[in-house]
Amino acid sequence: MTRPSFAERAWRAMYRLSLRAYPESFRADFARDMEETFLDRYRDARREGIPATVALVSASLADVVVHGLRERIHPHHFGYGMFDWIDVRYALRLLRRSPLFSALTVLTLAGGLGVSIFTFSFLHTAILRPLPLPGGDRIVRIENDAANSGGAFDVTELSAIRQSITTLSIVGAYVGADVVIGDEHHRRVLGVTAAEPNVFELTGTRPILGRPFRAEDQAVGAEPVIVLSHRSWELAFGADTAVVGTRVPLNAGFARIIGVMPDGYGFPAASDAWTPLSTEIVEERAPDRQSVNLYARLRDGASARQAESELTRLIDRARTQQRISAGLRTRTVVQVLSFPVAQIGDGAPWVFSALNLLAALILLLACINVTNLLLARANERARETAVRLALGASRARLVMQSMWENVVICVSGGVVAIAIAAGALEAINHWLHTNLQGNLAFWWVWHLDRAAVLSACVFVTAAIALLGCIVSARVMSTEFHAVLRDGGARSGSRREGRIARMLVVTQVTAVTVLLFFGVMSGAVAYRVAHVDVGYDTRRLLSATVELPRDRYDSVETRRAFYRRLLNDVGGRPSVEGSLLRAPLASISDADGAFELGASRRTFDAASPHAYVEASLGPLQSLGIALRAGRMFDVRDDERGTPVALVSRALAEQYWPGRSPVGERIRLATDSGRTDSRLVVGVVSDILMGAPFSRDRSSAAAYLPLAQTSVPQAALLFRHRGDIPASQSALYASLATIDPRLAPPSVQTFEEILAKTALIATSVTKLFAVCFGFALLLAVSGMYGLMARSIGQRTREIGIRRALGATDSIVTRLLVGQGGRQLGVGVLIALPLLAGIGVGFAANFPIGFATTVLSGVAVSATIVVVAMLATYVPTRRALAVSPRDAMWRE
Amino acid sequence: MPANPNTQPLRPIEFEILLTLADGERHGYAIIQEVEARSDGEMRLETGTLYRALRRLVADGYAKPAARRSPSDASDAHDDERRRYYAITPAGRQVAAAEAARLARLVAAARSAKLLTRPAKG
Repeated sequence: MTRPSFAERAWRAMYRLSLRAYPESFRADFARDMEETFLDRYRDARREGIPATVALVSASLADVVVHGLRERIHPHHFGYGMFDWIDVRYALRLLRRSPLFSALTVLTLAGGLGVSIFTFSFLHTAILRPLPLPGGDRIVRIENDAANSGGAFDVTELSAIRQSITTLSIVGAYVGADVVIGDEHHRRVLGVTAAEPNVFELTGTRPILGRPFRAEDQAVGAEPVIVLSHRSWELAFGADTAVVGTRVPLNAGFARIIGVMPDGYGFPAASDAWTPLSTEIVEERAPDRQSVNLYARLRDGASARQAESELTRLIDRARTQQRISAGLRTRTVVQVLSFPVAQIGDGAPWVFSALNLLAALILLLACINVTNLLLARANERARETAVRLALGASRARLVMQSMWENVVICVSGGVVAIAIAAGALEAINHWLHTNLQGNLAFWWVWHLDRAAVLSACVFVTAAIALLGCIVSARVMSTEFHAVLRDGGARSGSRREGRIARMLVVTQVTAVTVLLFFGVMSGAVAYRVAHVDVGYDTRRLLSATVELPRDRYDSVETRRAFYRRLLNDVGGRPSVEGSLLRAPLASISDADGAFELGASRRTFDAASPHAYVEASLGPLQSLGIALRAGRMFDVRDDERGTPVALVSRALAEQYWPGRSPVGERIRLATDSGRTDSRLVVGVVSDILMGAPFSRDRSSAAAYLPLAQTSVPQAALLFRHRGDIPASQSALYASLATIDPRLAPPSVQTFEEILAKTALIATSVTKLFAVCFGFALLLAVSGMYGLMARSIGQRTREIGIRRALGATDSIVTRLLVGQGGRQLGVGVLIALPLLAGIGVGFAANFPIGFATTVLSGVAVSATIVVVAMLATYVPTRRALAVSPRDAMWRE
Repeated sequence: MPANPNTQPLRPIEFEILLTLADGERHGYAIIQEVEARSDGEMRLETGTLYRALRRLVADGYAKPAARRSPSDASDAHDDERRRYYAITPAGRQVAAAEAARLARLVAAARSAKLLTRPAKG
């Protein structure tokens, strides 16, 4: 017998819980049968699909709660079916009678529901929805989990995978690059994906014009071909169908346009065009082994976890065979992820759960506010209810009427919320596509979809259940003889007092957690936008120069080019100081095993990352200062002793209390060198790695560019107040050295930072709106709850004062009681705050002090708000004279 | 003590349940399925509604829980010992027959008032 799914077990547990609505005697006779019948129906509904399941579960839970309550109230009353038009009409008439109240409750609930639906739908599209391609749920990205690998693999590992893999049916490689299309008069830089010909076969997509790649397009010496994206075809060629088959200038050569892909297609990454990945690269014959990204299709019946373990075994074996001579053992971690999850990172499920939980808390706040409004109105109608009960109306009838009132409010709120969420999804889709044009994954298209509507059904059902339970409890507790004798103010007072206290505590807990999360994400966004990289970024420009492998196929030609470029650019009057930097690797992962002197150290995942970088030119021009020893100089060329500089952070980590100058270091990432390097100096720290990622670090080792071989490097230089002039100077230098080289794009540091921080800042702005709404709900809700609770005690306050209590004693009493509820709420929130704080500190550059300060600031704000919410109604109650108060109902 | 079948008319759902049980013992889900099939999907019983009606029928003596089935008796996928079966009692059969007769009289009256036409034969 197969084990029931998690969903089945969860729904069974929820159904069993809702059966508690029935009296115990009924449960003893029928609960087991009812549960079995529900499961039979659930399994049948599952076969019909998700909508049928959601409909069944919602109807069953509502049915059980309603009939359970009816059975409790009147075991011999049988008005079968929940639906009675008279009750619905009565509920509608009540809502029509006070349009302002109805609008307020519907809009408050719509706000909470809107946030929840929007958050779920946004994240569902971003993370969970399978690729909108045939068999999209089986298309995966294979990720190398080694830091600084960017998820890419060495081509030798690709060969090892291809030879023996059984869990994947198609495996392909791709790399991204920029190419220049057009001649010197009309040229355009395109972001190109160089992929293997099976890329279009994997996604089952054919070009709308022309043909896809063929195997022969990949061969060395084949005519260069290019397939355009729909967008580039429109922008660069005016959607001219005759362009297919023509030859266009590409990277100082020529390529034939063979096809145009459909609108919106962008697999495996957002691209302006696709070129075939040369067999020279894939079959390890290129002068430098290149890293490639991998896409694949899971074979039918194989799971991602099975593929992960098989891939880890194969790659581990390949790496072991390669590195035996160097004596450096490797550790392999491979992840098989869907493309949407790979885009966000492996923390995607956590992001999904955490943000949905926060949205649910906002919905909870909205529900508490609506509950408060409904309870206030139930109080106003206490006498009417009591009269109806006294005249023989059944409680079941009254419960059903208040249930229908809730249903009308919740469904109306749900409809408004769906409209709000649909508008917000369209707006964010438009905004992101406008601001990240061409850089957005093609599956990120947000609109109101089936998942959003289904989530709305679930949230509305949850709201109906929550509101229904509380308001029904209020109706059930009405003591009609007490109400008719003493007036509405005391009806159901003890039970209602408990409900009010519970609501205040829940509200304090929810808003404390929300506000803390909001403050922490705001702090992260601020850090990202104002990151201190450790050097002077003013007037700094950056351009990445990529040398074509066919013309720069030797170490010597590359070194000569870089030297000439640095000298030529540095000598131009509009440029001040220049430096070439080329990231080589990270030594934080298993690949980065390295040796310090006699001892061999291997980093593990818990070690801080350290970066290895090649540089040419004075590091001082970037603002990196010498702390000990010497900088690189003319001695450190290809014929000189292999040397390295280390940052102060790296020195303190591995040579604590002593100078590393004169020590030896050997890096496995050092282009296969087996000889060790002499540490000649210590330099100041700068921030490396993405500034808000776990990979950030100041630990770094610098090698002279002349002692390495890199086909790509970033040129950093400062302008003297005129950015276009400096850009022209760079282009003039490049044209002098190599006129066939594609001119790189030049970016200011601010532009680079703004791009890096765009997602973080925009998500934070979105959060700010949500948290602002949550705070508004919390403040108004707390005030409403306290005002109602104290307002009901006006007579009690009058009696206390008539018996001699002073205003300050009464104030202390009421504020003290409010303070206790506040304290309980904050106490419940504290462990949650600690969890959130630890989560943020582990993943973002947020220090312990910021976390604690944020927690204290949030708690203090909540205390002030709650105290004010208690104090103001207290003052109002004291303003009524004791004589008037005692006669108040 | 069973109620007098001549003085207490059955509610439609109770009649539907007795009608189903008149054909043989059934468990809860089978009753829901048969009622739905007989009404061409128009009447869809919720579990809570069904069991409240069953409780009343049992309390009035019109239906009774049958002995649990052994696995060897199972004849369909939902047919196993976990489920409790219900059977109609002689009193239940009597009251269902009385209700059917009442409905038949009503149908005859509707026909004579030309509210219903006799279905064509063949």
